[in-house]
Amino acid sequence: MDATRGTTGSGPGRREVADGSPGIEPAKDIVIAGLRKSFGSNEVLVGIDLTIRGGDFVGLMGPNGAGKSTLIKILDGVYDRSSGEIQYGGEKVSKLGERPEVGFIHQDLGLVDELSISDNLRLGQEPMRRFGPFVDRGREREAAVRALNNIGLELPVETLIGALSPGEKTLVAIARVLERGARVIFVDEATSTLPPADSHRLIEALKRTAARGATVIMVSHKLSEILDATNRVVLLLDGKIVADSPAASLDRGALVEMLVTREKEEVESEDLTNARAAVEGKELLRLEQVKGGHIDGVDLTLKGGEVVGLTGLPGSGLHDLAHLAHGTMKARGGKVVRAAGVTSALVPPHRETQGGFLEQSTLENLTISSLSRWRAPWRLLRGGAERRDTNEMIERLNITPGDPGAVFGTLSGGNKQKVVFGRTLLCAPQVYVLCEPTRGVDVGTRMEIYKLIEELAAGGAGVLVVTSDSEDLFAVCNRIAVVVDGRLGAFLEAEETNPQELEAFI
Amino acid sequence: MSTTEAAPAADSGVKSGSSLRGGIDVYKLLGASITFIAFLVVFLIYTIWLGGKFTSTDARALDIHQNTPVLLLGLAVLVTLIAGQFDLSVASMATLSAFLVVGLKLNQDWPFALVLIACFAVGVAGGALNGFLVVKLRVNTFIATLGTGGVFLGFSAVYSKGTQIVAGAGQAELPSWFSGANSLGSLGEKFPAVLVWIGLAAAAVMVFLTLRRMRPAATEPRRWDLISAAIVVVIAAILFVLGLSDWVNAISWTIGVLLIVALAVWLLLDYTTFGRYLRATGSNAQAATLAGVNPGKETFKAFVLGGVLAALAGIILGANQGTASPGAATSFLLPAFAAAFLSTVILSTGRFHVWGTLIGGTFLVWVSQGLIVGGVPFTWTEVVNGLVLILAVAFSSVFKRRMT
Ligand SMILES: Nc1ncnc2c1ncn2[C@@H]1O[C@H](COP(=O)(O)OP(=O)(O)O)[C@@H](O)[C@H]1O
Ligand SMILES: [Mg+2]
Repeated sequence: MDATRGTTGSGPGRREVADGSPGIEPAKDIVIAGLRKSFGSNEVLVGIDLTIRGGDFVGLMGPNGAGKSTLIKILDGVYDRSSGEIQYGGEKVSKLGERPEVGFIHQDLGLVDELSISDNLRLGQEPMRRFGPFVDRGREREAAVRALNNIGLELPVETLIGALSPGEKTLVAIARVLERGARVIFVDEATSTLPPADSHRLIEALKRTAARGATVIMVSHKLSEILDATNRVVLLLDGKIVADSPAASLDRGALVEMLVTREKEEVESEDLTNARAAVEGKELLRLEQVKGGHIDGVDLTLKGGEVVGLTGLPGSGLHDLAHLAHGTMKARGGKVVRAAGVTSALVPPHRETQGGFLEQSTLENLTISSLSRWRAPWRLLRGGAERRDTNEMIERLNITPGDPGAVFGTLSGGNKQKVVFGRTLLCAPQVYVLCEPTRGVDVGTRMEIYKLIEELAAGGAGVLVVTSDSEDLFAVCNRIAVVVDGRLGAFLEAEETNPQELEAFI
Repeated sequence: MSTTEAAPAADSGVKSGSSLRGGIDVYKLLGASITFIAFLVVFLIYTIWLGGKFTSTDARALDIHQNTPVLLLGLAVLVTLIAGQFDLSVASMATLSAFLVVGLKLNQDWPFALVLIACFAVGVAGGALNGFLVVKLRVNTFIATLGTGGVFLGFSAVYSKGTQIVAGAGQAELPSWFSGANSLGSLGEKFPAVLVWIGLAAAAVMVFLTLRRMRPAATEPRRWDLISAAIVVVIAAILFVLGLSDWVNAISWTIGVLLIVALAVWLLLDYTTFGRYLRATGSNAQAATLAGVNPGKETFKAFVLGGVLAALAGIILGANQGTASPGAATSFLLPAFAAAFLSTVILSTGRFHVWGTLIGGTFLVWVSQGLIVGGVPFTWTEVVNGLVLILAVAFSSVFKRRMT
């Protein structure tokens, strides 16, 4: 164990030795041996052996569907394992969950929308009492304020969780775990849903915690985060650990190589050089001084063959603009003009809550928006044709598992994203409104999605990419604009700008 | 521990290999049928315990015959449950409809066609009222349907002045095809066996086609076709040995109507755009809206359909009994919901389903009838119903957690 301590002094994002708080005992070791998990006949984890020393900051990587979330859920006790052993501090245990010193932040956060931040922070914990059964609201409030300050979130603690942006929700979830004094923290793709500034806050909060000697296991697809924060990178592929390296020995190139051997060339084009030149096409959609939601007077045109990128901070009205363009939000003022016969399809911004129908099949999720394609007399459905087209789409998007009857809720995050994407493709509209199209997908899938968007534009469709991920903007867009406080800034030609310049506008 | 291993070349980039397209998943199959099997085990025990008294085809068919209004209410509840709504007013609607179908004929002597139209019209109106309250006024579904249920029941009491309506001397009579001996409502009048056989043949073809689609990638198509056909033949043979032809001949007109209605509702829910939109609505209304579905419209339609099915349940109840008594269908609400919920664990994994509702509702009756035949007082029926529902659902939840 001391040996590990020794090696922790050198990596990037290195923690300073516990900042003079000798009272805190080091986190216990976690040993996982021969862990296996099958869902029915689907083997998801096929023998995981992993030792996590107290104080490690592990970056857990791997493509969508590799089994990362499953591993973490087993450790939490959400799922039972099929076989194998888990040791915590040398003791055999069945799970790590339900201990105050072990915190889990899952891909789906487990906060209660109808309660306030402060109530959510105390959820599942003994309430602070004044006397008898009376809750000491004042003291709980103070504790909540302290917890929020800890992670740099400036919000009234009475705010309902439902009113927060996904980024803020994640930060509250982290605050909750820290508030309980967690010494071991599992974070599953928390930053996938966050805009850069919030991601940064979160990573900093985790680094501070790690610096106090806590263990952090973080799942992320973002290379820069992994390199910045972790001191050890574990790569999971098809339910097996295929690599385990000290972060100090890796740079971006080495990490990419580790992640995707086959799709290497494609991934390197990730270096934001794909920006497209302006195009001349038929105008499909025009917004004239449109108002609605947080949007307060926006002009925008979208032409066929064009990919327009919109970005902005949460709360800027970015997503309202997407809904206005698609028509799911009625304009309060101004006009939304569509060329004759133009239809649109939407990938909604909050995939977790608005994306799909969890207990229904992949097929039902894919075809729901375009059922009229298979409609026979009497509103009956031509099941064979529907199934055939579904299988084609599954193949085209490489959705796993490829069974059209698979339950949507059991797909991994990236595959859910593909299904929601496929739903819009089946509509074959002229206008695509894609919100956060690459949220939570792995590096390889991200490239596939970029390629798809380019194909759509090449086929004459107009695409509106509404995203908080600047990589999306530079990879596929012709023109980019920033939404600030409900208004749209000037459009920039993607070829003539760069991420730094763009950030200045946000 | 921190050593670098190269990813094995064969594995890199290959997405999860265990995604057999359309393969049979034994665990999934077992998970879906475990509750069904558990019921069969109970019936096997009954058979050993009670012998012919339990296995008598006529007695068990009578159970279904008498239980048809409950099963129809189960379907009424089912369509609204799929939309994510609880319709607590269906039993009251059935009572009201039973009073109308008997009373409008006996007391007012309306032409019977008009009586039937009136009953269905009331069903549509009642369902539309529920839909309006829940969809347009956004009243909580429990409160809205609890309220309208009270209203419907109240109307039936107002109409009948709180007493039973029975045929009397000098009064009009119910049509002889509708109620009485050898009518729609009697057990004796059998449904044409040909139609049942045609239905069964169609079902066999369906099962065959479904099996065919589940071909494991490793088996070649011709061979799998043969295997599928063999499975269907074996199932058919087992059913014949268990007295399938007796059963076909035991189906009364009442049960026949139930089967036809179930067939229609099944097609509607599983093979039309309406069914898909309804399931999407019940699953996640917000996602449905964003996917281009209008949840309000679909929910409204579901309530109307529920009202119509409830009215039909009342009509069948009137036909079976030939009379109408206050609160006649009130006690049907629990078993109707139980049947609908059992459908999520019978030959299904968590999905509300038409055939599961019929099977669940029927099994529920048989479980308590078996006890009654065995000497337990019939007053225990409700206790048994409640327990079976809880046990069945809990059992399959535990099983699912074990297996996955
Ligand atoms: N509850 C479940 N039932 C069946 N299959 C599941 C379930 N949860 C996850 N899976 C499957 O396990 C695999 C791994 O999923 P997951 O752990 O979510 O991947 P990721 O590495 O992207 O987090 C996927 O193929 C997924 O479909
Ligand atoms: Mg995951």
